[in-house]
Amino acid sequence: MKKNELLLSKKPLNVLEKIKENLERLNEKMEIMIEIQRHGKKELQAFPDASLDVMTLLSLPDHLRKTAMTICRCGRATAQEVSSQTKRARAVESAYLNQLVIMGYLKKERKGRKAYFYADREKQE
Amino acid sequence: MKKIIAVHSYKGGTGKTALSVNLAASLAKRGKKVAILDLDFRAPSLFSILKMENSTVWLNDYLNGASTINKILQDTNGKIPSNGKLFAGLANPSTEAIRDMSAKDRKWEMRALGRLLSLRNSLLKEEDFDYILFDTSPGLQYSSINAIVAADLVVVATTGDRSDVNGTCRMLQELYNLFEKKTGVVINKVLDADLDSKKEELNKRAKDVYQVPLLGLIPCFCEVLRAEGNLIFVQDRPDHPFTKIINEIATRIEKNEI
Repeated sequence: MKKNELLLSKKPLNVLEKIKENLERLNEKMEIMIEIQRHGKKELQAFPDASLDVMTLLSLPDHLRKTAMTICRCGRATAQEVSSQTKRARAVESAYLNQLVIMGYLKKERKGRKAYFYADREKQE
Repeated sequence: MKKIIAVHSYKGGTGKTALSVNLAASLAKRGKKVAILDLDFRAPSLFSILKMENSTVWLNDYLNGASTINKILQDTNGKIPSNGKLFAGLANPSTEAIRDMSAKDRKWEMRALGRLLSLRNSLLKEEDFDYILFDTSPGLQYSSINAIVAADLVVVATTGDRSDVNGTCRMLQELYNLFEKKTGVVINKVLDADLDSKKEELNKRAKDVYQVPLLGLIPCFCEVLRAEGNLIFVQDRPDHPFTKIINEIATRIEKNEI
């Protein structure tokens, strides 16, 4: 196969990858909106100086505490990795993780198509 | 199976430290590699029980981010000979250190939690330890809750004292359950422990009131009180009934019977 033909055959694949990535991000945003509707905005209030210490863990509602505890144990994980430990659906964990990001307890970092969540313990060193 | 165990209690004076040290010694005697860490920063006692008063390295430095855990852990060889290895991480008993640890803020406690959680990787995985035991301070202290969150198993030392029973019960419901921790209870300093009716009563309490497995019933032994913290029974009195009970508890932990 010549170089040009190779490039042409790769292009549709790249476009599809991009569409899939965008759909995943859209899906994440919809999951957050659903959670906001379900639990109300008050629960998702952002705390600018929030720290994920044990007292915060104790004060979180049960469903969020389970997710936050898993991140504490793993250090850094994707929604898929959290869901494999909590035995809840990936979409559910994704929504809870994003809630914890909005509340200021977790940080989110994208690497390629994957989104990693972590507690930024060292930021105040 | 490798494990982090937190030994905790609602009240002070329940025998937590004696239980932790003897459990650690019992596991080490079986050939396991064990680390015992004194997380009771308000009333450090491990340095005294292990007769390591001349120590110059402290667990405080690890949690402050000023040292690594490998520099903090000290081999107890000579003090507790064992088939395996027993290492200790000591809390600094100086008044200044106690004052300093009592004044830490939430952000420091959050980083301390991260450092305790990272022991799973640094000690259990990289240094091939079999068990890490946390000897905690009683009640709902930050350092104790950090230890509970980082642990796989919580061993709760309790007595027959009415306020201790009530407090332990509350902690089980409002702390260990919320963190979904495996928990076992050791009822210590039991009077009339050889009476069947007493055993039945305490087994019933564990089942109905505490609703967690009963790991052991330890009678109130005069010899333990008389030793005044100078003896590690598992090491110094291997045939004493107290040692026998500790060994049974260690076996249950080793066999994962909780």
